[in-house]
Amino acid sequence: MKKTFLLLLFFAFTFSGCEKDDICDANTPTTPRLVIEFYDFDNPSVLKSVTNLKVVGAGMTDGILFNGSMIANGSKISTPLKTNENSTSYSLTLNSGNPNPALVNEDIIKFDYLTKELFVSRACGYKTVFSLDPINPYIHSDGAAVDQKWIKFISVENSNIENENETHIKIFF
Amino acid sequence: MKHTLRSFFSICLLLSLAFVQAQETTPVKSIKQPTKTEDKTPEAPLPLVDLSPVKTNNDSISSTTERYGVRVGVDLYKLTRALYDKDYKGIEFVGDYRLTKKYYLAAEIGNENKTTADDRVNFTTKGSYLKAGFDYNAYENWLDMENIISIGMRYGFSTFNQELNNYKIYNSNPYFGEVPVIVSGEKFSGLNASWVEVVAGLKVEVLDNIFVGFGLQLKLLVTNKQPENFSNLYIPGFNRTYDGDFGVGFNYTVTYFVPIYKKKIAPKK
Repeated sequence: MKKTFLLLLFFAFTFSGCEKDDICDANTPTTPRLVIEFYDFDNPSVLKSVTNLKVVGAGMTDGILFNGSMIANGSKISTPLKTNENSTSYSLTLNSGNPNPALVNEDIIKFDYLTKELFVSRACGYKTVFSLDPINPYIHSDGAAVDQKWIKFISVENSNIENENETHIKIFF
Repeated sequence: MKHTLRSFFSICLLLSLAFVQAQETTPVKSIKQPTKTEDKTPEAPLPLVDLSPVKTNNDSISSTTERYGVRVGVDLYKLTRALYDKDYKGIEFVGDYRLTKKYYLAAEIGNENKTTADDRVNFTTKGSYLKAGFDYNAYENWLDMENIISIGMRYGFSTFNQELNNYKIYNSNPYFGEVPVIVSGEKFSGLNASWVEVVAGLKVEVLDNIFVGFGLQLKLLVTNKQPENFSNLYIPGFNRTYDGDFGVGFNYTVTYFVPIYKKKIAPKK
């Protein structure tokens, strides 16, 4: 008799230990970023690294962080898209912070897309996935200073942005 | 949520103490039984004529009867929860029928309306459920006591609908700032689920034919018709769903026993 009570009490307190398991696991795929890879325009199958690339979203002052730094060096970047609007505009500045102003070059790319919200889990809630406009996925223009556009060609590799495992955009320069 | 859990378990603790007391008082009642039969025994020596010493086996234990019938009642936990939780309305009726000395047919039927406010989703679940199965009384009662410590099984079925009130988008890179909560109001109807559960229960007769009971349930989902682009995070009768198929539940019942017939038990020799 007493044993049963103890057992019931034990159960009661075991379950009282069940606190919220409502933390979204970092490994869960949630809202994806746009994955951009840089290629050599003269040799389109070869990856080309950018030097001191700074990417700033329209209306923002700080650059997008790449591994904790606002400056990217390498051939691949991931940029977040606005989930509550149907377009996101970035300014991409090559050789950002270079003392020689002739080398600093800014281009602007605006991506147009549709969004869709997908349920993930109790802890993560919903995520947004994007599909780039099939006719005009992007608009490429020169920056504030009238210089040559440093980006020579933009190719949409994957118009459905659903995860970060694949490259969505290739930029040739 | 935290507060409800805490109060919930402090109530459990309180109730279990109440049971301990209830148990202590009952043996006193049972002692009365043998004294009654002792009163009768002096009648035997009166007719002194009988010379042949025929032993009549008229001991106290021999003539116990067991009552069979239906027990009906209500889950007080669900009923009273609406008083302090404005996001919950629910009722559960419970019943059992004694089949044999140890086995009872048991069923619960209920209806729930619950709004769950999680960090990232807020939704309202409405629906009804039915659970049916059996209880096995593992408690050896003294004489005519009818207390129950049981282990049982149920199969549960629930039909319900979910309404997504609002939700948040998870973005691990909030460069453009956190997006405010999105109000939805989308309804997902025609959902259902079924499950099996193991029930450990306790019922104590506190007044004549009135029992208070406490039950713990461990559940395992068998079928689950999920809504499109949402999930059954709460199922009436099953309660909260976790990542796996497991669930837990609890009830605190008050039941009334309606005796239908009595069975005499042959004395044990």
